[in-house]
Amino acid sequence: MADLLTTQRLTKNFEGLVAVNQVNFRIQEGQVTGLIGPNGSGKTTLFNLLSGLFTPTEGTVSFLGTDVTRVPPHKRVQMGMARTFQLVSVFDSLTVWENLVLSNIRFKTEQQSLRNFFFASSRRKDIADDCMSSLELVGLESRASSVTSELSYGDKRMLEIAIALSLRPSVLLLDEPLAGLSDHEIGEVVSLIYKVKKNFALGIIEHKISKIVELVDRLCVMNYGRIICEGVPGQVLCDPQVRECYWGKEDNKC
Amino acid sequence: MNSKADVMHGIRPAAKGAVFRDMIIIAAFFVALIPVLAMHRVTDFMIFCIFALSFDLLYGFMGRLSFGQVLYLGTGVYASTLFSLHVSTNPLLAMLAGVLGAAIVAAALGLIVVKLNEAPFALTNLAFNQIGFFLIGSTFQKITHGEDGISSGVEPWGFMDFSNKYFAFCFVLFFLLFTFYMLTRLTRSPFGIIIRSIKENELRVKFLGYDTFSYKWITFTISGALAGLAGTLYTLYVQFVSPTFIHPLNNVEPIFAVLIGGAGNLYGAIAGGVLFMVMRDSLSTHVPQWEWILGGLLLIIVFWLRQGLAGFVRILAGAVSNRLSLRRAAGGGSQ
Ligand SMILES: Nc1ncnc2c1ncn2[C@@H]1O[C@H](COP(=O)(O)OP(=O)(O)OP(=O)(O)O)[C@@H](O)[C@H]1O
Ligand SMILES: [Mg+2]
Repeated sequence: MADLLTTQRLTKNFEGLVAVNQVNFRIQEGQVTGLIGPNGSGKTTLFNLLSGLFTPTEGTVSFLGTDVTRVPPHKRVQMGMARTFQLVSVFDSLTVWENLVLSNIRFKTEQQSLRNFFFASSRRKDIADDCMSSLELVGLESRASSVTSELSYGDKRMLEIAIALSLRPSVLLLDEPLAGLSDHEIGEVVSLIYKVKKNFALGIIEHKISKIVELVDRLCVMNYGRIICEGVPGQVLCDPQVRECYWGKEDNKC
Repeated sequence: MNSKADVMHGIRPAAKGAVFRDMIIIAAFFVALIPVLAMHRVTDFMIFCIFALSFDLLYGFMGRLSFGQVLYLGTGVYASTLFSLHVSTNPLLAMLAGVLGAAIVAAALGLIVVKLNEAPFALTNLAFNQIGFFLIGSTFQKITHGEDGISSGVEPWGFMDFSNKYFAFCFVLFFLLFTFYMLTRLTRSPFGIIIRSIKENELRVKFLGYDTFSYKWITFTISGALAGLAGTLYTLYVQFVSPTFIHPLNNVEPIFAVLIGGAGNLYGAIAGGVLFMVMRDSLSTHVPQWEWILGGLLLIIVFWLRQGLAGFVRILAGAVSNRLSLRRAAGGGSQ
Protein backbone atom coordinates (compact mmCIF):
# COMPACT_ATOMS: atom_id res chain seq x y z
CA MET A 1 0.00 0.00 0.00
CA ALA A 2 1.35 3.37 -1.01
CA ASP A 3 2.07 6.11 1.49
CA LEU A 4 0.07 9.22 0.59
CA LEU A 5 1.16 11.50 3.37
CA THR A 6 4.33 11.02 5.38
CA THR A 7 6.51 13.01 7.75
CA GLN A 8 10.21 12.60 8.37
CA ARG A 9 11.55 13.54 11.81
CA LEU A 10 8.98 16.30 12.04
CA THR A 11 9.54 18.71 14.93
CA LYS A 12 7.74 21.84 16.14
CA ASN A 13 9.07 24.05 18.93
CA PHE A 14 6.98 26.69 20.65
CA GLU A 15 9.50 28.82 22.50
CA GLY A 16 11.11 25.93 24.32
CA LEU A 17 8.06 23.66 24.36
CA VAL A 18 8.56 20.79 21.93
CA ALA A 19 4.96 20.16 20.86
CA VAL A 20 5.90 17.67 18.14
CA ASN A 21 9.17 15.82 18.53
CA GLN A 22 10.93 13.86 15.75
CA VAL A 23 7.70 12.35 14.47
CA ASN A 24 7.57 9.89 11.57
CA PHE A 25 3.91 9.64 10.73
CA ARG A 26 2.21 8.22 7.68
CA ILE A 27 -1.22 7.90 6.17
CA GLN A 28 -1.57 5.09 3.66
CA GLU A 29 -3.84 4.73 0.67
CA GLY A 30 -7.20 3.16 1.41
CA GLN A 31 -6.70 3.21 5.17
CA VAL A 32 -8.15 4.96 8.16
CA THR A 33 -5.35 6.09 10.46
CA GLY A 34 -6.36 6.99 13.99
CA LEU A 35 -4.34 9.32 16.21
CA ILE A 36 -4.93 9.35 19.94
CA GLY A 37 -3.10 10.68 22.96
CA PRO A 38 -3.64 12.67 26.16
CA ASN A 39 -4.47 16.39 26.13
CA GLY A 40 -1.60 18.53 24.96
CA SER A 41 0.34 15.63 23.50
CA GLY A 42 0.70 17.38 20.13
CA LYS A 43 -1.98 15.77 17.95
CA THR A 44 -3.51 18.99 16.66
CA THR A 45 -0.07 20.51 16.18
CA LEU A 46 0.86 17.52 14.02
CA PHE A 47 -2.24 18.06 11.86
CA ASN A 48 -1.42 21.77 11.65
CA LEU A 49 2.01 20.86 10.34
CA LEU A 50 0.56 18.38 7.85
CA SER A 51 -1.93 20.90 6.50
CA GLY A 52 0.50 23.81 6.38
CA LEU A 53 -0.93 26.02 9.12
CA PHE A 54 2.46 25.82 10.85
CA THR A 55 5.88 25.40 9.31
CA PRO A 56 7.98 22.85 11.16
CA THR A 57 11.08 23.75 13.12
CA GLU A 58 12.76 20.68 11.67
CA GLY A 59 11.90 17.74 9.44
CA THR A 60 9.77 17.41 6.32
CA VAL A 61 6.25 16.63 5.16
CA SER A 62 5.71 14.69 1.90
CA PHE A 63 2.38 14.47 0.14
CA LEU A 64 1.81 12.26 -2.91
CA GLY A 65 5.55 11.83 -3.27
CA THR A 66 6.45 15.53 -3.25
CA ASP A 67 8.03 17.50 -0.45
CA VAL A 68 5.37 20.00 0.65
CA THR A 69 7.12 21.31 3.77
CA ARG A 70 7.19 24.87 2.37
CA VAL A 71 4.02 24.66 0.31
CA PRO A 72 1.27 27.05 1.50
CA PRO A 73 -2.04 25.60 2.76
CA HIS A 74 -4.14 26.47 -0.27
CA LYS A 75 -1.78 24.61 -2.60
CA ARG A 76 -1.92 21.53 -0.39
CA VAL A 77 -5.72 21.68 -0.59
CA GLN A 78 -5.51 21.95 -4.36
CA MET A 79 -3.27 18.87 -4.35
CA GLY A 80 -5.98 16.98 -2.51
CA MET A 81 -5.52 17.44 1.23
CA ALA A 82 -8.57 18.60 3.17
CA ARG A 83 -9.08 19.05 6.88
CA THR A 84 -11.55 20.03 9.57
CA PHE A 85 -10.77 21.80 12.83
CA GLN A 86 -11.01 20.75 16.45
CA LEU A 87 -13.36 23.67 17.08
CA VAL A 88 -15.82 23.61 14.18
CA SER A 89 -14.87 26.21 11.61
CA VAL A 90 -17.49 27.18 9.06
CA PHE A 91 -18.57 30.62 7.84
CA ASP A 92 -21.17 31.79 10.32
CA SER A 93 -22.09 34.91 8.40
CA LEU A 94 -22.89 33.04 5.19
CA THR A 95 -25.88 30.82 4.57
CA VAL A 96 -25.43 27.05 4.58
CA TRP A 97 -25.88 27.13 0.83
CA GLU A 98 -23.21 29.79 0.35
CA ASN A 99 -20.81 27.76 2.46
CA LEU A 100 -21.23 24.91 0.02
CA VAL A 101 -21.02 27.14 -3.05
CA LEU A 102 -17.73 28.40 -1.65
CA SER A 103 -16.22 24.93 -1.44
CA ASN A 104 -17.76 23.54 -4.63
CA ILE A 105 -17.16 26.45 -6.98
CA ARG A 106 -13.41 26.04 -7.19
CA PHE A 107 -13.84 23.00 -9.37
CA LYS A 108 -15.98 24.93 -11.78
CA THR A 109 -13.70 27.90 -12.23
CA GLU A 110 -11.25 26.12 -14.49
CA GLN A 111 -13.80 25.44 -17.19
CA GLN A 112 -15.96 28.46 -16.79
CA SER A 113 -15.36 31.91 -18.13
CA LEU A 114 -14.37 34.79 -15.90
CA ARG A 115 -17.71 36.40 -16.60
CA ASN A 116 -19.51 33.50 -14.99
CA PHE A 117 -17.28 33.57 -11.99
CA PHE A 118 -17.83 37.24 -11.31
CA PHE A 119 -21.45 37.53 -12.28
CA ALA A 120 -23.02 34.09 -12.13
CA SER A 121 -25.76 33.57 -9.63
CA SER A 122 -24.89 31.04 -6.98
CA ARG A 123 -28.11 29.25 -7.99
CA ARG A 124 -26.79 28.37 -11.44
CA LYS A 125 -27.52 24.78 -12.35
CA ASP A 126 -24.07 23.19 -12.45
CA ILE A 127 -23.09 24.82 -9.14
CA ALA A 128 -26.47 24.03 -7.65
CA ASP A 129 -26.26 20.33 -8.48
CA ASP A 130 -22.98 19.91 -6.61
CA CYS A 131 -24.22 21.86 -3.61
CA MET A 132 -27.44 19.91 -3.59
CA SER A 133 -25.66 16.57 -3.41
CA SER A 134 -23.46 17.92 -0.59
CA LEU A 135 -26.60 18.94 1.27
CA GLU A 136 -28.25 15.57 0.75
CA LEU A 137 -25.17 13.73 1.94
CA VAL A 138 -25.38 15.37 5.36
CA GLY A 139 -29.14 15.78 5.48
CA LEU A 140 -29.21 19.56 5.78
CA GLU A 141 -31.58 20.25 2.87
CA SER A 142 -34.10 22.01 5.06
CA ARG A 143 -31.43 24.37 6.39
CA ALA A 144 -30.05 25.41 3.00
CA SER A 145 -31.07 29.05 3.28
CA SER A 146 -30.45 29.41 7.01
CA VAL A 147 -27.64 31.64 8.17
CA THR A 148 -25.01 29.24 9.44
CA SER A 149 -24.73 30.91 12.85
CA GLU A 150 -28.25 29.60 13.58
CA LEU A 151 -27.18 25.96 13.22
CA SER A 152 -26.58 23.68 16.20
CA TYR A 153 -23.00 22.65 16.87
CA GLY A 154 -23.72 19.19 15.53
CA ASP A 155 -25.19 20.52 12.29
CA LYS A 156 -22.20 22.82 11.89
CA ARG A 157 -19.93 19.81 12.27
CA MET A 158 -21.89 17.97 9.57
CA LEU A 159 -21.64 21.05 7.35
CA GLU A 160 -17.91 21.32 7.96
CA ILE A 161 -17.45 17.71 6.93
CA ALA A 162 -19.62 18.24 3.85
CA ILE A 163 -17.42 21.20 2.92
CA ALA A 164 -14.27 19.12 3.35
CA LEU A 165 -15.75 16.31 1.25
CA SER A 166 -16.72 18.68 -1.53
CA LEU A 167 -13.04 19.58 -1.88
CA ARG A 168 -12.67 16.03 -3.26
CA PRO A 169 -9.64 15.17 -1.16
CA SER A 170 -7.36 12.18 -1.54
CA VAL A 171 -6.42 12.61 2.12
CA LEU A 172 -8.88 13.94 4.68
CA LEU A 173 -7.77 14.98 8.17
CA LEU A 174 -10.46 15.15 10.86
CA ASP A 175 -9.50 16.72 14.19
CA GLU A 176 -11.82 15.36 16.90
CA PRO A 177 -14.96 15.32 14.75
CA LEU A 178 -17.04 13.88 17.60
CA ALA A 179 -16.03 16.31 20.34
CA GLY A 180 -18.92 18.27 21.79
CA LEU A 181 -21.64 16.24 20.05
CA SER A 182 -24.57 14.38 21.58
CA ASP A 183 -24.72 10.59 21.30
CA HIS A 184 -27.27 10.87 18.53
CA GLU A 185 -25.08 13.29 16.58
CA ILE A 186 -22.05 11.10 17.13
CA GLY A 187 -23.98 8.25 15.52
CA GLU A 188 -24.75 10.42 12.51
CA VAL A 189 -21.18 11.58 12.01
CA VAL A 190 -19.79 8.06 12.40
CA SER A 191 -22.20 6.61 9.86
CA LEU A 192 -21.39 9.46 7.47
CA ILE A 193 -17.71 8.61 7.78
CA TYR A 194 -18.46 4.95 7.07
CA LYS A 195 -20.42 5.96 4.01
CA VAL A 196 -17.68 8.04 2.39
CA LYS A 197 -14.41 6.62 3.69
CA LYS A 198 -13.73 4.44 0.64
CA ASN A 199 -13.15 7.57 -1.44
CA PHE A 200 -9.98 8.72 0.30
CA ALA A 201 -7.42 7.98 2.97
CA LEU A 202 -8.54 9.28 6.34
CA GLY A 203 -6.58 10.58 9.30
CA ILE A 204 -8.66 11.03 12.42
CA ILE A 205 -7.84 12.43 15.87
CA GLU A 206 -10.32 11.29 18.50
CA HIS A 207 -10.54 11.02 22.26
CA LYS A 208 -13.62 8.81 22.16
CA ILE A 209 -11.63 5.72 21.23
CA SER A 210 -14.54 3.33 21.60
CA LYS A 211 -16.46 5.19 18.89
CA ILE A 212 -13.77 4.85 16.28
CA VAL A 213 -11.96 1.66 17.14
CA GLU A 214 -14.07 -0.29 14.63
CA LEU A 215 -13.40 2.30 11.95
CA VAL A 216 -9.65 2.52 12.26
CA ASP A 217 -7.17 0.31 10.39
CA ARG A 218 -4.06 1.67 12.04
CA LEU A 219 -3.76 3.50 15.32
CA CYS A 220 -0.97 5.83 16.47
CA VAL A 221 -0.56 7.05 20.02
CA MET A 222 1.14 10.33 20.87
CA ASN A 223 2.52 11.40 24.20
CA TYR A 224 4.69 14.45 24.93
CA GLY A 225 5.07 15.16 21.23
CA ARG A 226 6.28 11.68 20.28
CA ILE A 227 4.55 8.74 18.70
CA ILE A 228 4.97 6.09 21.36
CA CYS A 229 3.14 3.25 19.72
CA GLU A 230 1.51 2.37 16.40
CA GLY A 231 -0.13 -0.65 14.78
CA VAL A 232 -3.44 -2.47 14.64
CA PRO A 233 -5.87 -0.99 17.18
CA GLY A 234 -6.34 -4.21 19.16
CA GLN A 235 -2.61 -4.51 19.74
CA VAL A 236 -1.93 -0.84 20.38
CA LEU A 237 -4.64 -0.52 23.00
CA CYS A 238 -3.11 -3.43 24.91
CA ASP A 239 0.39 -1.97 24.89
CA PRO A 240 1.42 -1.35 28.51
CA GLN A 241 3.01 2.02 27.72
CA VAL A 242 -0.20 3.21 26.06
CA ARG A 243 -2.35 1.92 28.89
CA GLU A 244 -0.21 3.77 31.37
CA CYS A 245 -0.32 7.15 29.68
CA TYR A 246 -4.00 6.85 28.86
CA TRP A 247 -5.64 5.10 31.76
CA GLY A 248 -3.02 5.27 34.47
CA LYS A 249 -1.87 2.05 36.10
CA GLU A 250 -5.19 0.21 36.19
CA ASP A 251 -5.32 -2.95 34.08
CA ASN A 252 -8.39 -4.59 32.73
CA LYS A 253 -9.26 -6.46 29.54
CA CYS A 254 -6.28 -7.60 27.48
CA MET B 1 -41.31 18.35 1.60
CA ASN B 2 -37.64 19.03 1.03
CA SER B 3 -37.64 18.37 -2.66
CA LYS B 4 -34.87 19.94 -4.66
CA ALA B 5 -37.26 22.52 -6.06
CA ASP B 6 -38.27 23.57 -2.56
CA VAL B 7 -34.69 23.96 -1.46
CA MET B 8 -33.77 25.96 -4.54
CA HIS B 9 -36.80 28.14 -4.07
CA GLY B 10 -35.81 29.12 -0.57
CA ILE B 11 -32.27 30.08 -1.48
CA ARG B 12 -31.34 33.69 -1.60
CA PRO B 13 -30.44 35.79 -3.56
CA ALA B 14 -33.89 36.47 -4.86
CA ALA B 15 -34.96 36.69 -8.46
CA LYS B 16 -33.11 38.70 -11.08
CA GLY B 17 -35.91 41.24 -11.46
CA ALA B 18 -35.26 42.43 -7.92
CA VAL B 19 -32.05 44.23 -8.97
CA PHE B 20 -33.92 46.27 -11.55
CA ARG B 21 -36.72 47.00 -9.14
CA ASP B 22 -34.15 48.32 -6.68
CA MET B 23 -32.51 50.43 -9.37
CA ILE B 24 -35.86 52.05 -10.14
CA ILE B 25 -36.39 52.76 -6.45
CA ILE B 26 -32.96 54.36 -6.17
CA ALA B 27 -33.56 56.49 -9.25
CA ALA B 28 -36.95 57.57 -7.91
CA PHE B 29 -35.38 58.40 -4.56
CA PHE B 30 -32.85 60.78 -6.10
CA VAL B 31 -35.41 62.39 -8.38
CA ALA B 32 -37.60 62.93 -5.34
CA LEU B 33 -34.71 64.63 -3.57
CA ILE B 34 -34.43 67.31 -6.28
CA PRO B 35 -37.23 69.58 -5.00
CA VAL B 36 -35.90 69.25 -1.45
CA LEU B 37 -32.21 69.80 -2.06
CA ALA B 38 -31.77 71.46 -5.46
CA MET B 39 -30.55 69.50 -8.44
CA HIS B 40 -26.88 70.44 -8.39
CA ARG B 41 -26.50 69.16 -4.84
CA VAL B 42 -28.29 65.91 -5.58
CA THR B 43 -25.87 65.36 -8.48
CA ASP B 44 -22.98 66.07 -6.17
CA PHE B 45 -24.36 63.64 -3.59
CA MET B 46 -24.77 60.89 -6.16
CA ILE B 47 -21.10 61.14 -7.10
CA PHE B 48 -20.24 60.83 -3.44
CA CYS B 49 -22.50 57.78 -3.24
CA ILE B 50 -20.48 56.08 -5.99
CA PHE B 51 -17.38 56.78 -3.93
CA ALA B 52 -19.07 55.38 -0.82
CA LEU B 53 -20.06 52.25 -2.76
CA SER B 54 -16.45 51.72 -3.82
CA PHE B 55 -15.42 51.92 -0.19
CA ASP B 56 -18.22 49.60 0.89
CA LEU B 57 -16.92 46.89 -1.44
CA LEU B 58 -13.55 47.01 0.27
CA TYR B 59 -14.65 47.57 3.86
CA GLY B 60 -18.21 46.33 4.08
CA PHE B 61 -17.87 43.22 1.99
CA MET B 62 -14.22 42.24 2.30
CA GLY B 63 -13.68 43.66 5.78
CA ARG B 64 -10.59 45.71 4.96
CA LEU B 65 -10.76 49.18 6.48
CA SER B 66 -8.66 51.59 4.44
CA PHE B 67 -7.67 55.12 5.44
CA GLY B 68 -6.54 55.82 1.89
CA GLN B 69 -9.49 55.42 -0.46
CA VAL B 70 -9.34 59.12 -1.32
CA LEU B 71 -6.07 58.45 -3.16
CA TYR B 72 -8.02 56.64 -5.88
CA LEU B 73 -10.71 59.29 -6.03
CA GLY B 74 -7.97 61.88 -6.45
CA THR B 75 -6.15 59.81 -9.04
CA GLY B 76 -9.37 59.63 -11.05
CA VAL B 77 -9.80 63.39 -10.70
CA TYR B 78 -6.27 64.32 -11.74
CA ALA B 79 -5.78 61.65 -14.40
CA SER B 80 -8.96 62.72 -16.21
CA THR B 81 -8.21 66.43 -15.80
CA LEU B 82 -4.66 66.16 -17.09
CA PHE B 83 -5.81 63.89 -19.90
CA SER B 84 -8.40 66.46 -20.96
CA LEU B 85 -5.78 69.22 -20.96
CA HIS B 86 -3.01 67.38 -22.75
CA VAL B 87 -4.55 64.61 -24.84
CA SER B 88 -8.21 64.97 -25.70
CA THR B 89 -11.11 67.10 -24.57
CA ASN B 90 -13.59 64.30 -25.11
CA PRO B 91 -15.44 63.70 -21.81
CA LEU B 92 -15.80 59.94 -22.27
CA LEU B 93 -12.12 59.49 -23.10
CA ALA B 94 -11.20 61.60 -20.07
CA MET B 95 -13.36 59.35 -17.92
CA LEU B 96 -11.70 56.28 -19.36
CA ALA B 97 -8.28 57.75 -18.60
CA GLY B 98 -9.28 58.57 -15.03
CA VAL B 99 -10.73 55.15 -14.30
CA LEU B 100 -7.76 53.38 -15.88
CA GLY B 101 -5.34 55.60 -14.00
CA ALA B 102 -6.99 54.83 -10.66
CA ALA B 103 -7.18 51.12 -11.50
CA ILE B 104 -3.49 51.00 -12.41
CA VAL B 105 -2.42 52.78 -9.22
CA ALA B 106 -4.69 50.52 -7.15
CA ALA B 107 -3.39 47.40 -8.88
CA ALA B 108 0.22 48.43 -8.30
CA LEU B 109 -0.14 49.48 -4.67
CA GLY B 110 -2.56 46.61 -4.06
CA LEU B 111 0.31 44.19 -4.57
CA ILE B 112 1.79 45.60 -1.38
CA VAL B 113 -1.13 46.60 0.83
CA VAL B 114 -3.30 43.57 0.23
CA LYS B 115 -0.75 41.43 2.04
CA LEU B 116 -1.50 43.39 5.20
CA ASN B 117 -4.49 43.32 7.52
CA GLU B 118 -6.19 45.57 10.03
CA ALA B 119 -4.14 48.51 11.34
CA PRO B 120 -1.12 47.99 9.03
CA PHE B 121 -3.50 47.82 6.06
CA ALA B 122 -5.34 50.97 7.08
CA LEU B 123 -2.17 52.92 7.83
CA THR B 124 -0.20 51.84 4.77
CA ASN B 125 -3.09 53.04 2.65
CA LEU B 126 -3.02 56.32 4.54
CA ALA B 127 0.71 56.61 3.92
CA PHE B 128 0.27 56.10 0.18
CA ASN B 129 -2.53 58.64 0.20
CA GLN B 130 -0.23 61.12 1.90
CA ILE B 131 2.46 60.51 -0.71
CA GLY B 132 -0.08 60.98 -3.51
CA PHE B 133 -1.22 64.23 -1.92
CA PHE B 134 2.34 65.57 -1.82
CA LEU B 135 3.06 64.48 -5.37
CA ILE B 136 -0.02 66.33 -6.62
CA GLY B 137 0.25 69.32 -4.28
CA SER B 138 3.99 69.99 -4.41
CA THR B 139 6.24 67.72 -6.43
CA PHE B 140 4.37 68.03 -9.72
CA GLN B 141 3.25 71.59 -9.09
CA LYS B 142 4.26 72.60 -12.62
CA ILE B 143 1.67 70.25 -14.11
CA THR B 144 -1.01 70.37 -11.42
CA HIS B 145 -0.65 74.01 -10.30
CA GLY B 146 -0.49 72.71 -6.73
CA GLU B 147 -2.77 74.34 -4.18
CA ASP B 148 -4.06 76.82 -6.77
CA GLY B 149 -5.93 74.06 -8.54
CA ILE B 150 -6.52 73.60 -12.19
CA SER B 151 -9.43 73.79 -14.65
CA SER B 152 -10.30 70.71 -16.63
CA GLY B 153 -10.09 70.87 -20.40
CA VAL B 154 -13.18 68.76 -20.98
CA GLU B 155 -15.48 70.26 -23.58
CA PRO B 156 -19.08 69.46 -24.47
CA TRP B 157 -19.28 66.61 -26.92
CA GLY B 158 -22.47 66.15 -28.87
CA PHE B 159 -25.33 66.28 -26.40
CA MET B 160 -22.89 65.76 -23.55
CA ASP B 161 -22.79 69.16 -21.97
CA PHE B 162 -22.08 69.13 -18.27
CA SER B 163 -23.04 72.72 -17.73
CA ASN B 164 -26.58 71.55 -18.46
CA LYS B 165 -27.70 70.50 -15.00
CA TYR B 166 -30.38 68.12 -16.30
CA PHE B 167 -27.87 66.29 -18.43
CA ALA B 168 -25.34 66.18 -15.61
CA PHE B 169 -27.94 64.75 -13.25
CA CYS B 170 -28.96 62.00 -15.67
CA PHE B 171 -25.38 61.17 -16.56
CA VAL B 172 -24.30 60.80 -12.94
CA LEU B 173 -27.48 58.90 -12.06
CA PHE B 174 -26.72 56.49 -14.89
CA PHE B 175 -23.27 55.76 -13.47
CA LEU B 176 -24.61 55.43 -9.95
CA LEU B 177 -27.12 52.83 -11.13
CA PHE B 178 -24.43 51.15 -13.20
CA THR B 179 -22.16 50.92 -10.15
CA PHE B 180 -25.01 49.65 -8.01
CA TYR B 181 -25.91 47.01 -10.59
CA MET B 182 -22.35 45.78 -11.03
CA LEU B 183 -21.74 45.58 -7.30
CA THR B 184 -25.04 43.79 -6.69
CA ARG B 185 -24.13 41.14 -9.23
CA LEU B 186 -20.54 40.98 -8.05
CA THR B 187 -21.31 40.59 -4.36
CA ARG B 188 -23.89 37.86 -5.02
CA SER B 189 -21.68 35.91 -7.40
CA PRO B 190 -19.32 33.11 -6.34
CA PHE B 191 -16.61 35.77 -6.27
CA GLY B 192 -18.73 37.78 -3.83
CA ILE B 193 -19.10 34.79 -1.57
CA ILE B 194 -15.34 34.41 -1.55
CA ILE B 195 -14.69 38.01 -0.53
CA ARG B 196 -17.38 37.90 2.15
CA SER B 197 -15.84 34.75 3.54
CA ILE B 198 -12.42 36.44 3.52
CA LYS B 199 -13.97 39.10 5.72
CA GLU B 200 -15.08 36.49 8.23
CA ASN B 201 -12.01 34.23 8.31
CA GLU B 202 -9.33 34.54 5.67
CA LEU B 203 -7.26 31.64 6.96
CA ARG B 204 -10.20 29.29 6.69
CA VAL B 205 -10.69 30.33 3.06
CA LYS B 206 -7.14 29.24 2.34
CA PHE B 207 -8.03 25.82 3.70
CA LEU B 208 -10.65 25.59 0.97
CA GLY B 209 -7.89 25.85 -1.60
CA TYR B 210 -8.16 29.52 -2.49
CA ASP B 211 -5.19 31.78 -2.95
CA THR B 212 -6.81 34.63 -1.05
CA PHE B 213 -4.17 37.11 -2.16
CA SER B 214 -5.47 37.26 -5.73
CA TYR B 215 -9.09 37.70 -4.67
CA LYS B 216 -8.14 40.50 -2.30
CA TRP B 217 -6.02 42.11 -4.99
CA ILE B 218 -8.80 41.97 -7.59
CA THR B 219 -11.27 43.44 -5.10
CA PHE B 220 -8.86 46.20 -4.14
CA THR B 221 -8.33 47.07 -7.80
CA ILE B 222 -12.06 47.11 -8.59
CA SER B 223 -12.66 49.27 -5.53
CA GLY B 224 -9.93 51.69 -6.62
CA ALA B 225 -11.31 51.84 -10.17
CA LEU B 226 -14.80 52.68 -8.87
CA ALA B 227 -13.39 55.39 -6.62
CA GLY B 228 -11.62 56.66 -9.73
CA LEU B 229 -14.95 56.64 -11.58
CA ALA B 230 -16.40 58.92 -8.91
CA GLY B 231 -13.32 61.11 -9.33
CA THR B 232 -13.77 61.46 -13.08
CA LEU B 233 -17.39 62.48 -12.53
CA TYR B 234 -16.19 65.25 -10.23
CA THR B 235 -13.83 66.38 -12.98
CA LEU B 236 -16.63 66.54 -15.52
CA TYR B 237 -19.12 68.08 -13.16
CA VAL B 238 -17.07 70.51 -11.07
CA GLN B 239 -14.62 71.34 -13.89
CA PHE B 240 -12.13 72.77 -11.48
CA VAL B 241 -9.99 70.52 -9.36
CA SER B 242 -7.62 71.11 -6.48
CA PRO B 243 -5.62 68.92 -4.07
CA THR B 244 -8.60 68.81 -1.65
CA PHE B 245 -9.84 66.01 -3.89
CA ILE B 246 -6.89 63.90 -2.83
CA HIS B 247 -6.48 65.16 0.73
CA PRO B 248 -5.94 62.28 3.20
CA LEU B 249 -8.15 63.95 5.81
CA ASN B 250 -11.15 63.35 3.58
CA ASN B 251 -10.87 59.63 4.22
CA VAL B 252 -13.21 60.01 7.15
CA GLU B 253 -16.02 60.83 4.71
CA PRO B 254 -16.52 57.44 3.05
CA ILE B 255 -15.88 55.73 6.39
CA PHE B 256 -18.62 57.78 8.05
CA ALA B 257 -21.01 57.33 5.15
CA VAL B 258 -20.65 53.56 5.13
CA LEU B 259 -20.84 53.28 8.92
CA ILE B 260 -23.95 55.43 9.02
CA GLY B 261 -25.61 53.42 6.31
CA GLY B 262 -24.45 49.99 7.44
CA ALA B 263 -21.31 48.32 6.14
CA GLY B 264 -21.74 45.48 3.69
CA ASN B 265 -25.06 46.72 2.40
CA LEU B 266 -25.24 48.55 -0.92
CA TYR B 267 -28.45 50.43 -0.06
CA GLY B 268 -26.82 51.34 3.22
CA ALA B 269 -23.85 52.89 1.41
CA ILE B 270 -26.17 54.99 -0.74
CA ALA B 271 -28.43 56.03 2.15
CA GLY B 272 -25.40 56.71 4.33
CA GLY B 273 -23.77 58.71 1.53
CA VAL B 274 -26.80 60.96 1.17
CA LEU B 275 -27.34 61.31 4.90
CA PHE B 276 -23.70 62.18 5.48
CA MET B 277 -23.71 64.81 2.73
CA VAL B 278 -26.96 66.34 3.98
CA MET B 279 -25.54 66.57 7.47
CA ARG B 280 -22.28 67.99 6.25
CA ASP B 281 -24.04 70.59 4.14
CA SER B 282 -26.86 71.66 6.41
CA LEU B 283 -25.21 71.24 9.77
CA SER B 284 -22.08 73.05 8.71
CA THR B 285 -24.11 76.09 7.67
CA HIS B 286 -26.30 76.16 10.79
CA VAL B 287 -24.12 74.74 13.53
CA PRO B 288 -20.59 75.92 14.18
CA GLN B 289 -18.20 73.02 14.66
CA TRP B 290 -20.69 70.48 13.39
CA GLU B 291 -18.03 67.77 13.66
CA TRP B 292 -19.11 67.41 17.29
CA ILE B 293 -22.44 66.08 16.13
CA LEU B 294 -20.75 63.76 13.65
CA GLY B 295 -18.51 62.42 16.39
CA GLY B 296 -21.51 61.85 18.67
CA LEU B 297 -23.32 60.05 15.90
CA LEU B 298 -20.33 57.81 15.32
CA LEU B 299 -20.32 56.88 19.01
CA ILE B 300 -24.00 55.97 18.82
CA ILE B 301 -23.33 53.79 15.80
CA VAL B 302 -20.34 52.05 17.32
CA PHE B 303 -22.12 51.34 20.60
CA TRP B 304 -25.72 50.71 19.61
CA LEU B 305 -26.12 50.47 15.87
CA ARG B 306 -23.31 48.33 14.59
CA GLN B 307 -25.24 47.62 11.40
CA GLY B 308 -25.91 51.29 10.77
CA LEU B 309 -29.10 52.53 9.17
CA ALA B 310 -29.62 49.25 7.32
CA GLY B 311 -29.50 47.28 10.55
CA PHE B 312 -31.79 49.78 12.24
CA VAL B 313 -34.35 49.43 9.47
CA ARG B 314 -34.13 45.64 9.76
CA ILE B 315 -34.70 45.75 13.52
CA LEU B 316 -37.58 48.18 13.04
CA ALA B 317 -39.15 46.01 10.34
CA GLY B 318 -38.78 42.98 12.58
CA ALA B 319 -40.48 44.75 15.46
CA VAL B 320 -43.32 45.98 13.27
CA SER B 321 -43.99 42.59 11.74
CA ASN B 322 -43.86 41.04 15.21
CA ARG B 323 -46.45 43.52 16.40
CA LEU B 324 -48.64 42.84 13.41
CA SER B 325 -48.49 39.09 13.82
CA LEU B 326 -49.16 39.46 17.54
CA ARG B 327 -52.18 41.57 16.83
CA ARG B 328 -53.36 39.11 14.20
CA ALA B 329 -52.90 36.27 16.67
CA ALA B 330 -54.81 38.20 19.32
CA GLY B 331 -57.57 38.99 16.83
CA GLY B 332 -57.77 35.35 15.85
CA GLY B 333 -58.09 34.33 19.49
CA SER B 334 -61.04 36.63 20.17
CA GLN B 335 -63.11 35.24 17.34
N1 LIG C 1 0.19 28.15 18.52
C1 LIG C 1 0.75 27.67 19.66
N2 LIG C 1 1.61 28.44 20.38
C2 LIG C 1 2.18 27.95 21.51
N3 LIG C 1 1.95 26.75 22.01
C3 LIG C 1 1.11 25.93 21.34
C4 LIG C 1 0.46 26.35 20.13
N4 LIG C 1 -0.34 25.35 19.71
C5 LIG C 1 -0.17 24.35 20.59
N5 LIG C 1 0.68 24.68 21.57
C6 LIG C 1 1.08 23.83 22.68
O1 LIG C 1 1.55 22.62 22.14
C7 LIG C 1 1.14 21.53 22.94
C8 LIG C 1 0.39 20.53 22.09
O2 LIG C 1 -0.86 21.08 21.76
P1 LIG C 1 -1.89 20.38 20.79
O3 LIG C 1 -3.00 21.31 20.58
O4 LIG C 1 -1.18 19.86 19.61
O5 LIG C 1 -2.38 19.14 21.71
P2 LIG C 1 -3.48 18.07 21.41
O6 LIG C 1 -2.82 16.76 21.46
O7 LIG C 1 -4.23 18.40 20.18
O8 LIG C 1 -4.41 18.24 22.69
P3 LIG C 1 -6.00 18.17 22.81
O9 LIG C 1 -6.34 16.72 22.96
O10 LIG C 1 -6.30 18.94 24.05
O11 LIG C 1 -6.59 18.77 21.61
C9 LIG C 1 0.31 22.09 24.07
O12 LIG C 1 1.13 22.20 25.21
C10 LIG C 1 -0.08 23.46 23.56
O13 LIG C 1 -0.21 24.36 24.64
MG1 LIG D 1 -6.14 18.92 19.69
